[in-house]
Amino acid sequence: MAWLGAEIDVPMVAVRAVHFAATASAAGALVFRAVVDPVLPAADQVKPVIDARIRWLIWISVTIAFISGVVWLLLQTSSMSGQAITSSEIATVMDETQFGFVSMVRLTLTVLLAASLACGHRWQPARWLALGSAVCLIAAIAWTGHAASTPYALGYLHLAADALHLLGAAAWIGGLMSLALLLHVLSGYRASAKPTLQLDVVSRFSRLGIVSVATLVVSGIINAWILVGSLRALVATDYGRILMLKIAAFMLMLTLAGANRFWLTPRLAAPDDKSLHALTRNTVAEIVLGLIIFVIVGLLGTLHPAAHLVK
Amino acid sequence: MQKNPLLVIVPFLLLLSTSAADAHAMLERAEPRVGNKVASPPREVTLWFTQKLETAFSTITVTNAAGERVDTGKTRVSGNQMSIVIRAGGAGTYRVNWQVLSVDTHRTDGSFTFQVGQ
Repeated sequence: MAWLGAEIDVPMVAVRAVHFAATASAAGALVFRAVVDPVLPAADQVKPVIDARIRWLIWISVTIAFISGVVWLLLQTSSMSGQAITSSEIATVMDETQFGFVSMVRLTLTVLLAASLACGHRWQPARWLALGSAVCLIAAIAWTGHAASTPYALGYLHLAADALHLLGAAAWIGGLMSLALLLHVLSGYRASAKPTLQLDVVSRFSRLGIVSVATLVVSGIINAWILVGSLRALVATDYGRILMLKIAAFMLMLTLAGANRFWLTPRLAAPDDKSLHALTRNTVAEIVLGLIIFVIVGLLGTLHPAAHLVK
Repeated sequence: MQKNPLLVIVPFLLLLSTSAADAHAMLERAEPRVGNKVASPPREVTLWFTQKLETAFSTITVTNAAGERVDTGKTRVSGNQMSIVIRAGGAGTYRVNWQVLSVDTHRTDGSFTFQVGQ
C-alpha cells in the first residue's frame, strides 16, 4: 500500500504503532502515579477508585505491549531474513542481531514489570521496580530503531536523544490517559474539597507536561537534525513529509495543552463543572492526536531516513 | 482580512502528494572506489555505509570480467564497514554486489564496478 508516495508495510506499521502506544501508556501511567499520587489525600474515598482505574490501564497496556512485542519480533524476523518465519530464523535474529537481543531484553522487562505490578500493593519497593522497568522498556525502543544504527560518536548522541524523546512522549501521552481517567472519576465526585483537589492534580500534571514537552522539543530537534539534516530533505523525501505531519499533530496537541494550562486550569476553582468537562474533552482530543503520532512513528521507523536520500 | 484556510491547506496537501524520485544512497564509499581504475587486483574490497550493519544478514560478492566469483565468501562486518578478501582474477571489469541489513532492520542491496589493469 502507498501513502504520501511512501510504500507502507501495513502489518508492520500497525504492530509498531500498537506496541509504542501500549508501552508509552504503561510507562506514562506509572510516571503519572508517582508524580500525581502524593497530591491525592490518602483518606479520601476518591483515591482507591482512581488507583484501581490507573492500575487497570497499566495492566491492559502491559498485556498489549507484551503481545505486540512478540508479534513485532516475528514480523521483523521475516522481514530481516526475507524468508518465512521458522524457528532457526528466529534463533538467528535473537542470537545475532541487535534487534533480536534488545527484543529479548524488553520482553524480559515486560515480565518483570508485570511481576512488580502483581506485588506492588503488598511490597512498596515493587512499585519503584515497576516504574524502573517501564522507563527502561520505553527507552530501550531507541536501540531497535534508526538511532541504533547511526555510526561514529554521533550515534551516542542520537541514542540519548531518542531514548529521552520516547520517555518524554510516554510521560506526556501516557500521563494524559491517566489524567483523563482521573478527571472522569472526579466529574462524578461531589465533595467540598473537589475544586481544590482537581486544581492540585491538574497543576501537578501540568508541571510534568511542561518538562515532557521541553524534553520532546530538544530531543526531537536533535533527531531531526541527524535523520533529516536539511530543509530540502524535509520537503523532498517521503520521510521528511511524513515527519511534517507528525510535527503538525504535535503542534495541535501543544495548542490544546496551552488552552488547558492558561485558560481552563485557573477556572477549575469555580464551583461548576464547565471547565472540568472542557478539560476532559481537550484531554481526550490530545490523546487521539497522540495515538495518531504513534501511527506516524510506526511508519517513520520503516522508512529510510531523509538524510540518506538527499545529497 | 481573514485568509481562506484552503489557501494554506491545498498547497500543503499537494506537496505531500508529490513523490520525489528518491534513490537509496546507503553506500557511503568503497575501496577500490566506485567506477575507478586500479593497476592490479586489490587484496580486498571494503565498503562503508551510512548506517551500522548486522553481521548475520550482510554479504558481499565480487566477480571478475569473466563473471567468476573471486571473493573468499567470508564477509567481515564492523560497525558501518564491511569487507571481503578477494583472489587475483586478472584484468578487466570487476563487479561488487552487496546486500546489507542495517541495525535499524532496513534491508538494502546494490552493486558497482571497478576496473583492474592499465
